[in-house]
Amino acid sequence: MNEPKTRVIVVEDEPQIRRFVCDALRKEGCAAIEAGTARQGLDQAAADKTDLVILDLGLPDMSGIEFIRDLRTWSPVPILILSARSAEQDKIAALDAGADDYLSKPFAVGELLARVRALLRRPWQDGSARPQHQFGEVEVDLSRRIVSRAGVEVHLTQIEYRLLAVMLANNGKVMTHRHLMQEVWGPGHTEQGHYLRIYVGRLRQKLEADPALPQHILTETGVGYRFQT
Amino acid sequence: MNKGLPSGWHRVRYPLAAALCILTTFGVFPLRELLELANIVMLFLLTVFIAAVWLGRGPAVLAAFLGVALFDFFFVPPHLSFAVADAQYLVTFAVMLAVGLITSHLAALLSERTEQAQAREQETRVLYELARDLGGALTLDQAADITQRFLGSVDMDATVLVADTSGETVAFQEYGGRHLNSLELSFAHSAYERRTIIETDSLAGMGVAIVFLPLNAPSQVRGVLALTPRTDDVGRLRTHRPLLEAAASLVAIIIERLHYADAARHSELEVVAEKLRSSILSSLSHDLRTPLTSLVGLADTLAQMRPPLPDGAIETAGIIRDQAQAIHHLLSNLLDMARLQAGRVKLNKEWQPFEEIVGSSRRLLATLLAGRKLEIDLPRDLPLVCFDAVLLERVVCNLLENAAKYSREGARIQLAACARETHLEVSVCNDGPGFPAERLDQVFELFVRGERETAVAGTGMGLAICEAIIAAHGGTIGAENRPGGACVRFTLPLGTPPAVEEEAPS
Repeated sequence: MNEPKTRVIVVEDEPQIRRFVCDALRKEGCAAIEAGTARQGLDQAAADKTDLVILDLGLPDMSGIEFIRDLRTWSPVPILILSARSAEQDKIAALDAGADDYLSKPFAVGELLARVRALLRRPWQDGSARPQHQFGEVEVDLSRRIVSRAGVEVHLTQIEYRLLAVMLANNGKVMTHRHLMQEVWGPGHTEQGHYLRIYVGRLRQKLEADPALPQHILTETGVGYRFQT
Repeated sequence: MNKGLPSGWHRVRYPLAAALCILTTFGVFPLRELLELANIVMLFLLTVFIAAVWLGRGPAVLAAFLGVALFDFFFVPPHLSFAVADAQYLVTFAVMLAVGLITSHLAALLSERTEQAQAREQETRVLYELARDLGGALTLDQAADITQRFLGSVDMDATVLVADTSGETVAFQEYGGRHLNSLELSFAHSAYERRTIIETDSLAGMGVAIVFLPLNAPSQVRGVLALTPRTDDVGRLRTHRPLLEAAASLVAIIIERLHYADAARHSELEVVAEKLRSSILSSLSHDLRTPLTSLVGLADTLAQMRPPLPDGAIETAGIIRDQAQAIHHLLSNLLDMARLQAGRVKLNKEWQPFEEIVGSSRRLLATLLAGRKLEIDLPRDLPLVCFDAVLLERVVCNLLENAAKYSREGARIQLAACARETHLEVSVCNDGPGFPAERLDQVFELFVRGERETAVAGTGMGLAICEAIIAAHGGTIGAENRPGGACVRFTLPLGTPPAVEEEAPS
C-alpha cells in the first residue's frame, strides 16, 4: 500500500494511557506518534504532515490551552481533548481556543475510535463542502434554502435556519454555547445563552423524531452542542 | 477634674479668710497713727482680693464683711467701738463693702475660669492617653484592662460587657473589673437595648455598678460599659459624666475595630482552608482517575486483541473494565459529595429548558435504560428554569439510575415534569418494590440505602447528592411509595425567565 498512513500524535504524559491509545490507533491502521510532553508534541506536529492530535489537558510542561493556541497559529489539524469529567470550564476553554472535540476520562476504546473516525473525516475542512445534507428523515439543501422532513417541507425561521447551517458546517464537532451564539447572533450576543437554548429546542421540535431524546442535535451538558448525522 | 487639693481644703477656707482679716488688722494696728484711713481701707481691700483669688468667692465675701467690721472697730474713731463719730464713714463702709464684694466676685470668677480650663485640659489629656493606649490594644482583654486602669484614676471600677449576638438572645461577655450580678446585668441589657445611659443613683455606695453606658460604635451597639464607683459621691459621678461618655465611645470604637480585625483574620483563614481543600480534592481526583483510565483502556485493549483471546479471557477483561468503571463512579460520587458538603459549590446557573437535560441523561444511561420501558411526560410549554445543567443532569441521572436498578427487566419508569405556580415539579417513578416504608424518611441521608445488604450495587450516595444539589438550587426533594413502586419528586424555583424577543417573520 503506497498511500501514506494517517498520522496521529498522542500527547499524554501518562505512559499507560499513551500506550493503549496508541495501540488502538495502530489497530485502526493509523501511524501513532507518542509524545510525553507538550514540547515534543509541538515538535512532532511540525515535523511532518499530521492528520489528528490527541491531547491530554493536564500536561506537566505547558497548559493544554497554550498548546492549542500555539498549534492553531499555524495548523488547522483537528484536536481531540482528553480531560477529567468534572472540569467543564477547562473543556470549554480548550474548545474555545480551537480544539474540536473532547473525551472524558475514563473512556472506552470504542468511544475513542468513534471520535477519531469522525474527526478524520473532517467534512468541514476538506474543501468538498456540499450544499446537500441528509440526516434521519431530514434533507437539507443549503443552495436552495430548502429543509424537508420525510419529504414534507419544513418552515424554519431565519435564525433557526442559520443555526442549522452552522451545525451542519461543524458536523461531528463539539460547539460551545459561546461559539454558536457568536456564529448565529454575532459577537455582541454571547451573554444571552437562553436564546440559543430556546432555538435549539425549536429546531429539535421541527427536525428530531423524539425531541426529548434527540439523535442528531445532541446536548453536551455544561459545554454546548454536538451535531451528528 | 479635681485640682488635686486635699479634701479638707473646703472646710478651712472660711477660717483662713477670717484669719487673713485678723492678721491684716493686727499688722496695721500699730501703724494706725502713721497711715491715713484711706490707705488702711486699701489694705483691707487687698486682703479681700487675696482671699478671692486664693480661697474663692464665699471666703472673699466673708473677708469683705469682716474687713468692714474690723476697720470700723479698730480704726474708725471712736476706736475699739462699732460706734461711728462721723456719718461720713458710713459712705466709706458702703464703698469699701461694695468694692470688696465686686473685687471678690471678679477675682473668684477669674480663678474659677482658670480652674475650669485646667480641668478641661486635664480631661482632654487623659482622654487622649486613653485613646492612644486603646489604639494599641490587640485583644478585648487588653482593652478592658486599659479602660479599667483609666477609670480607676477617677475612683471607679469598670466592667466592659461585649454583646454576643450570635445566639437568639443577646449574651454579654465580661471583660475586666468586677463580675456583675443578675440585677446589674438586667440594667446592662436595658441600656443595650434602649441605647441610652442608665443610672441608678439610689444604689450608690453599695458596691454595685450604678452607671451603664451603651457602647455605640459606628455600625451598631457593641455592648455596655458598667461603672461601679469606689466612693458614694454621686455628685462627682455627675461632673465626670461627659468624660465617661467620651471614654465609652472610645471603647466602643476599639471593640468594633477588634471585631472587624478578627473577622478579617477569620475569613482569611477560611480562604486558605478552602484553597487547601479544593486542591486536595482536585489532585485526588486527578491521581485516582489516571490509573482508572489506564485500567479501563487496557482492559478494552485486551478484549479487542487480534487474534482474539479465548472467550474466558475476554470476559475477564470485560469484568475488569466494568469494575474500574464502578470505582470511577464511586470516586465521582465521593468527590461530588465532598464538594457539595463543603457548601461552596459554585452553581453555574443559566436559564434553560428542563427538557434538554432529560435528553442528555437518557443518552448517558442508554445502556442501563435499554431494558426498561421509559415513559416521558414533558409538556411542550414548560417555562425556562434557572439551574446548573451539569449538577441537575446528575440528579436526573441518579434518579433514573435508581429507578432502573430497583426494578425488574421490562418494568415501567416514568419521568414527568409540570409547572406549578412558583416552581417546577419533577417526578421519577418506577414499578418495583418501592422504598422500605420504615426508612422512607432516611433515604436522603448519606450512606443510607433503601435496602440493607442487597445484590444491587450502590453506595447510598446517589440520593444524598441529589438532595444536596436540589437544596443548593433552593428546591425541595422527597421520596414516597405508590402502589406498585417508588417515586421521588423534586422542585425547582421558577422565578422570572428573561424576556425573549421573537424574530420578525421572514
